[in-house]
Amino acid sequence: MGNFEVINSRASRIDSPAKATGSALYVDDIKMPGMLYGAMLQSPVAHARIKSIDVSAAARLPGVKAVVTAKEAGLVKFGVSPARYDETLFCHDKVRHHGDNVAAVAAVDLETAMHALSLIQVDYEELPVLITIEEATAEGAPLVHDGYPRNICAEIHQEFGNVKEAFKECDLIKTTTFVNKRQDAAFIEPQGCIAHFDIFGNLTLYSSTQSVHYVQRTVAMVLGLPIGKVRVVKPYVGAGFGPKAAANHLEPAACLLSMKTGKPVKMNFEREQVFMHSRGRHQFFHKFTTGVKKDGTIMGLDHECYLNGGAYTSFGIGTVYYAGSLLGGPYKLRNMKYDGYRVYTNLPACGAQRGHGGVAARAGWEQQLDMIAEELGMDPFDLRQKNMLVAGDVTCNGLKISSFGMPECLEAVRSGSDWKSKKGKLPRGKGIGMACGFFESGAGYPSYPSDTYHDTVLVKLAEDGGSALVLSASAEIGQGSDTALAMIVAEGLGIPLEMVRVQSGDTDFGVDLGAHSSRQTLMTGHAAKEAAEDARRQVIEVLSEELKTSAQDMDIKNGVVKFKMEKPDFTPLRTRYIKEHRGWLDNPATDDELSFREASRIAFLSRGTIVGKGKYKPPVPGGSSKGATVGTSPAYGCSAQVVELSVDEETGKITIEQMTDAHDCGLAINRTSVEAQMQGSFSMGLGEALFEEVKFDSKGRLINGDLAEYKIPSCLDMPKIKSIIVESNEPNGPYGAKEVGEGAIMPTIPAILNAVYDAVGVRIYELPMTPERICTAIKEYKEKRIDAEYEDQSKRNRAGSSIRLYD
Amino acid sequence: MAAKLVQLTINDKEYDIAVQANETLVDVLRYRLGLTGTKKGCGQGDCGSCTVIMDGNTVNSCLVLAVQANGSRITTIEGLESEEGLHPVQKAFIEHGAIQCGFCSSGMILSAKNLLDKNPKPTEGEIRSALSGNLCRCTGYQKIVEAVQSIAK
Amino acid sequence: MLLPKFDFDEPATVSEACEILAEFGAKAKVIAGGTDLTVNMKKKLLSPERLVSIARVPELQRVDASSTMLKLGPCVTIANIAESGEIGKRWGAICAGAKALGSPLVRNRATVGGNLGSARPAGDMPPSLMAYGARVVLTKKSGQRVVFLDNFFRGPGLTEIAPEEIMTEIQVDAPPPHAGAGYINLGLRSSCDCNIVNVASYLVLEGPGGPIKEARIVMGCVGPTQRRAVSAEKALIGKKPCEALFTRAGEAAMTDSTPIDDFRGSAAYKKEMVKVLTRRTLAAAFEEALKS
Repeated sequence: MGNFEVINSRASRIDSPAKATGSALYVDDIKMPGMLYGAMLQSPVAHARIKSIDVSAAARLPGVKAVVTAKEAGLVKFGVSPARYDETLFCHDKVRHHGDNVAAVAAVDLETAMHALSLIQVDYEELPVLITIEEATAEGAPLVHDGYPRNICAEIHQEFGNVKEAFKECDLIKTTTFVNKRQDAAFIEPQGCIAHFDIFGNLTLYSSTQSVHYVQRTVAMVLGLPIGKVRVVKPYVGAGFGPKAAANHLEPAACLLSMKTGKPVKMNFEREQVFMHSRGRHQFFHKFTTGVKKDGTIMGLDHECYLNGGAYTSFGIGTVYYAGSLLGGPYKLRNMKYDGYRVYTNLPACGAQRGHGGVAARAGWEQQLDMIAEELGMDPFDLRQKNMLVAGDVTCNGLKISSFGMPECLEAVRSGSDWKSKKGKLPRGKGIGMACGFFESGAGYPSYPSDTYHDTVLVKLAEDGGSALVLSASAEIGQGSDTALAMIVAEGLGIPLEMVRVQSGDTDFGVDLGAHSSRQTLMTGHAAKEAAEDARRQVIEVLSEELKTSAQDMDIKNGVVKFKMEKPDFTPLRTRYIKEHRGWLDNPATDDELSFREASRIAFLSRGTIVGKGKYKPPVPGGSSKGATVGTSPAYGCSAQVVELSVDEETGKITIEQMTDAHDCGLAINRTSVEAQMQGSFSMGLGEALFEEVKFDSKGRLINGDLAEYKIPSCLDMPKIKSIIVESNEPNGPYGAKEVGEGAIMPTIPAILNAVYDAVGVRIYELPMTPERICTAIKEYKEKRIDAEYEDQSKRNRAGSSIRLYD
Repeated sequence: MAAKLVQLTINDKEYDIAVQANETLVDVLRYRLGLTGTKKGCGQGDCGSCTVIMDGNTVNSCLVLAVQANGSRITTIEGLESEEGLHPVQKAFIEHGAIQCGFCSSGMILSAKNLLDKNPKPTEGEIRSALSGNLCRCTGYQKIVEAVQSIAK
Repeated sequence: MLLPKFDFDEPATVSEACEILAEFGAKAKVIAGGTDLTVNMKKKLLSPERLVSIARVPELQRVDASSTMLKLGPCVTIANIAESGEIGKRWGAICAGAKALGSPLVRNRATVGGNLGSARPAGDMPPSLMAYGARVVLTKKSGQRVVFLDNFFRGPGLTEIAPEEIMTEIQVDAPPPHAGAGYINLGLRSSCDCNIVNVASYLVLEGPGGPIKEARIVMGCVGPTQRRAVSAEKALIGKKPCEALFTRAGEAAMTDSTPIDDFRGSAAYKKEMVKVLTRRTLAAAFEEALKS
């Protein structure tokens, strides 16, 4: 590791004072003169033809300023991938899920807007509701969208190597299945926005988003405006975890209402609407067949997956690809076959959520590897170590591994958890389990086909030389990207962190694809580093001219200009600087070293505003064959976790007691933030493993659309976590950095699954592991064990394999 | 349904406000008085982001009718700073990296402050219990607990 | 989420409150902490024309624990009950219920009267109070009546309280010597949860370790109201307490329960948990009885 002045430290986050004092403004905290309040009319049924919409009574209500439907909005189709633009702002022919958008109103206050909604008459002709994959793909089932027979939204068939041939060489071939449940991101701030179409015809949209860029493109396209007329600004955002990476319907609706009224229009989702409209984790039905040799060598994986996609595609094309491609690592998998199907149903649409597409796949497969290790008589660590990728490898599906601190991660959690003295030695009811993770550091391609730069950053030096301003369209959503960028820029310029200010989340500052696919630190970080170095270069160039000293002989460190050779006489520069700052009390003393501040001021006097420019586009990634571009990335993070837990065998209740986590993030720009991502990932994984499930009734209506019945972990549900940072110095990352935000969730669920098995001998193939599910599994296990005792006294495995998955 | 005049002492400042019976305390704080540090995450008492301290106890201000708060002393996140600067809980949250998106932070900090006011040396279990009505999706709570522990000694 | 419009009264005394209710009857709703009522109103499940807040009526906030009886004003908060040493000492299962309810934020506002009045089958306060044989005093302009909690709940959200009545007191006799109680609730999360099953048990022994003289077992979440596990209670009377007996009582309690399949769990699992929690609460009650 290099010798760094700013990065790789535990700097306090630059946004935390504002957040600790309540002064940070989130979108609903903003109020504008003349602001109107908008609300959406949403379908009470899951599938119906719209026979008529009558808005006249609503429009007549005093205080109502605009009512819009598809008639006013038009029918421009949008979505995430152009290949599946399958949404319009408002439904016109039919509604496809409970909560689908039908109309919107703007009124003088929210009460009036809500009243107006109740006056809109919609005549629905109900259609059969498709809830499950089986229903949707059945012969003769109605189509959610025309043109997608059997409601198959996307279908992927890939084979890398030859799995069939590989299986011939295997000593053990194991098939298991796994199913998770639809998970909601459950960020605490619901989506909201304020649109203002001003008298000059410029549209400004303030939105709680993870990507101002994608929202700008969507809004401009849907409303037929040039991109240059649309500015999207992200205020402070109360987290996103994926769903806020795509435009939501509030955004274009608020814009349209503002265009109709000429007033700023605010719209918010209520919590129930978050469940209906923020496209969280899909439900995945996996089937894995893995072949291994006696010595543990993994020879091949045959993998099939069905996704219940809901009514629209959103990020779903990416999701169905990721569900396959992310199993390409962290093990040397010589042959891999993947058949993925995403199916349209009449449930709210699913999209991207932390660990996009890969979380359930990882959970199911890491559990299977645990079973394989046991059958081979290997320690689960040893099986993984034996198959681990190393830096320089290219996976069978074309993912290039440029750094890989997996051995260090494994060792860290093995010793950190005291695995050896616990594995297999804990009393019944207590268990320990481990698993590994693997994730990309930013997607190789944008979600729309384009040669665009993924990130541009400007570093502008203040005219007095005293500070640097970072301008970026990246999205600080709580993960700490503003602080990471400030640290990278401070490091790159050679100045203290306190001298750097960040303005981000504004399309006026450049192009940035935003906070998703764990891209912000590596990709925006690259652009920020380049911009900082560009600004620094310009300052040094001016110094070189002024001091007649070679640029190579100068450096800036910690805000001070360092001369590698003999120190030139910079008194004339200092005199000029002081002259420019008469009246200030902090001018440099005669024998002080030459400061960055003085140098930067002189540079301004010489060249005008010093602006460093940076940009980033990933190197042309591999994996272009067989459509395997999803999953390609400049770098891959990896991780290992050990979970210790206890199971109340009578009630089935699991208590997670201890967790040890190691993650290779390349280089920690901010060590505290890296740990924070690891710990936050674990809690989301724990929630999905034990509690979380968005539930619908038989008519496709949401049952538990609130944070009481949709249960995310509370403070009391979380164990103590031991977080260990591993740094492998990623060559493709800025200063060696790569991802941590999503990869860290990968091992959590399977580590819990494997620990449950260690505790009570049951394998669980369906999430969440509610007390009831565990209790039932233990009962079945005990019944089976009584039978099995006749055959084989010693084995306590297998019993779980017979538990059926899809029921 | 005439408006009712209520008197609230918020962060040591007295307010006389005419409110409708159906206005909740959180809406009065946020939309009438501009005290937007109090957040709204769910509107039904499930998430704790609207936590304020009312007459010495933490409450979900989304479930309190403003008319029912008449005569109460209320502390919001805006009321924690003093002439000496940030409150120790605020400082600890900043120093320990206990804040990510920040949307739960106002409520979390107020719950932590209220705990320490009543019990200056809480155990880890008492801290977790006291914060268990404030949901956080970002941190996994670890750094929050560490922040509170750092000033509970 | 907006609340519908309503008129608001804040009477200073019980009689004032009774006057108002006498006038408005079913059009009015009594509010105390509001943690349940306001949510239902925001969801538009309820829209009373008038709310009558009794939260500040001093006589309704009293805790009076004498040697023979615990008297709770209905507006005593759940947090106050959870933290009360004098309740915890003699009516520990009531405290256990209070500690299990919602979150600290909810407990600071929610009241015992509200938790009874909202009549949720999964409520945390009813089982223990019923197990101790609690009664509620219902007051109206023209008089008062006392109703045992056993006869108080009529269905989900429905109680004996008439539109013109207010609950003005909850009375719980002090347990005699050699008595004990236990309460256990099972949910998913450790906080902010809604129970899957909850059970409270109460035992009185003839003497130290001696046969069981009196038993009350109350099950939540397994019927439209909390219900007594009558056959389990019968199975206990006159028997010498032991683990095996408690197991048998748990099995009997299963037959007393009538759970339904719902999104929180299957009927079969809830029945199974009635068995487990009955046994465990009886064991806890017995342990306390040995100490008292």
